[in-house]
Amino acid sequence: MSSPLPPAPATAAVAVAVAISGLRKSFRVAGQTIEAVSGIDLTVAAGEIFGLLGPNGAGKTTTLRILTTLLPADAGSARVADADVLAEPAVVRRRIGYVSQLGGADKAATGRENLMLAGRLYGLSAADATRRCDELAEVFDLGQLLARSVRTYSGGQRRRLEVALGIMHRPRVLFLDEPTTGLDPQNRANLWDQLRGLRAAGTTICLTTHYLDEADQLCDRVAIIDHGRVIAIGAPDQLKRRYSADTITVTPDVTASALPALARELADATSAEVTVAENGAIRLTVTDPTAAMAAVFGVLAGRRLSVLAASVGQPSLDDVFLRETGRSLRDAGAPGSGQAAGAGAGAAREVAA
Amino acid sequence: MTFAVQTGLFFRRKLLETLRQPVWIITGLTTPALYLALFAPLLRSLDGGPAFPAGQVLEVFVPGVLVLVAFGAGMGAGWPVIWELDSGVLERLRVTPASRLALLLGTVLRDVVMFAVPGVVVTAIAAGFGFHLHWAGLPLLFLLLALLTAACSATSSALGLILKQIGGLAAVVAGMQLPLTLLAGILLPLSLGPAWLRVLGHLNPLYYAVQAARSLAAGSIGAGAVGLGFLVTGALAALTLWWGTRAYQQAMA
Repeated sequence: MSSPLPPAPATAAVAVAVAISGLRKSFRVAGQTIEAVSGIDLTVAAGEIFGLLGPNGAGKTTTLRILTTLLPADAGSARVADADVLAEPAVVRRRIGYVSQLGGADKAATGRENLMLAGRLYGLSAADATRRCDELAEVFDLGQLLARSVRTYSGGQRRRLEVALGIMHRPRVLFLDEPTTGLDPQNRANLWDQLRGLRAAGTTICLTTHYLDEADQLCDRVAIIDHGRVIAIGAPDQLKRRYSADTITVTPDVTASALPALARELADATSAEVTVAENGAIRLTVTDPTAAMAAVFGVLAGRRLSVLAASVGQPSLDDVFLRETGRSLRDAGAPGSGQAAGAGAGAAREVAA
Repeated sequence: MTFAVQTGLFFRRKLLETLRQPVWIITGLTTPALYLALFAPLLRSLDGGPAFPAGQVLEVFVPGVLVLVAFGAGMGAGWPVIWELDSGVLERLRVTPASRLALLLGTVLRDVVMFAVPGVVVTAIAAGFGFHLHWAGLPLLFLLLALLTAACSATSSALGLILKQIGGLAAVVAGMQLPLTLLAGILLPLSLGPAWLRVLGHLNPLYYAVQAARSLAAGSIGAGAVGLGFLVTGALAALTLWWGTRAYQQAMA
């Protein structure tokens, strides 16, 4: 499963894989105009895994559908793999792969038939398509499954086939819409590994997600999107550091009346911002958690106090979202709040997840 | 060149899909055979009456059944289109460089096969009942009805892509079926009806295909109805293929 894919063709060496500027798209739904994408600008460098993170209805899927030539934008421009999405959709289609939320494997056909058709539609000869099919069967661990009808696949197996379908023709840029929604943790980790393998082989990957950990652990850079706008963009670590800091929480074994004095002493020792919680925990916002933790334990040891609990909290991308929107990403996208496309099925899957 | 390859690939995919559902093949063959077996005896008493020249009941009736087979084979195309919209298959195919016309033609050609095979079976059974096989007319008859199947198939696909809902498509197709088939004089010739019914019939493109089919079944290849039938049906096929391709280009999954 971890065996690397063959290197992408040399032409894949583009500096910029995706460039969007001033992108807008509205829909008319039940007599009302809803702006799904309200002026998005961003650039994806070749060879990176780029994530569009946001709640349901933020405009991620619409953006992806514009980039994959499925939807015309109302305004703005988008270039993908050195071609203009609006002016040269046929060129763009040859250079990209797309794995939609629904996946789109043909359930009536076998896995191999699905892959062969996809390969041949991109102009691969039958022999080349067969070779590529066997190659991907190994990478995605599909060997025995390919002869079976897709109807019989499990969710994880089908997702692997769908990603294989998206890269049958070795696209320069691979777009994935919520690729791990509905997958169990193990299948999710496997898919992450496979996407990292693709990146290592030179494929640019652009995906949408509403999972914080997916954006954080898988993506090289992330654009956080809300209400059709980019509210923050950068590497996950950089974003987290810019918007929030690490926290240390300690619960010393002291009486409530002794807490404020102890908190002041800890603040002096670590030069951190300190707050005392009702349950007796002291929370410190720090820049260097390792040094601060040592200082905290120094103070507590000096006063011969034992510690009931201690933890280091790392900042998350949710803190970024919270700062910018005043809402938590976890709460922002209640299922059914309506993605512009495929809302019903998408929302239903999220409930299942 | 690539267009022909793509059409072939989509045709193969659709054909395999159908062959894996034996139910469709069985009903596709039995329904027209039942029409013949159950309906033809009723017509015996009309022999020599109005609109049925003596000894020619089957020459009037069999082409009508063949038109029904063509209509049925084509009009079913829209249902799988909606499944493919809902399951994301179409969206995936629309991101490939594949020609939209090739995508449409894959289904259309499969439907032509789904007309031709039962059509040959029905003709053979009818021959057993006494239907005269005119060898010059029959290939032309099948060609004409293949065009009609194509037009129906493209129409159904376009409707499926535009309506996006099984219920809507079912209502439209069922709503079209009665007026279209009745006003084409498929089972009973329109010449039996009053003048206003015949006028309405002339507005129905299916009418010309039925008239041409009857002439061809009778062996009158040179009849004016044949030329007119090919003209109207050919134009209808071209128009609906254009419409279906446009629907595929614009479809929003």
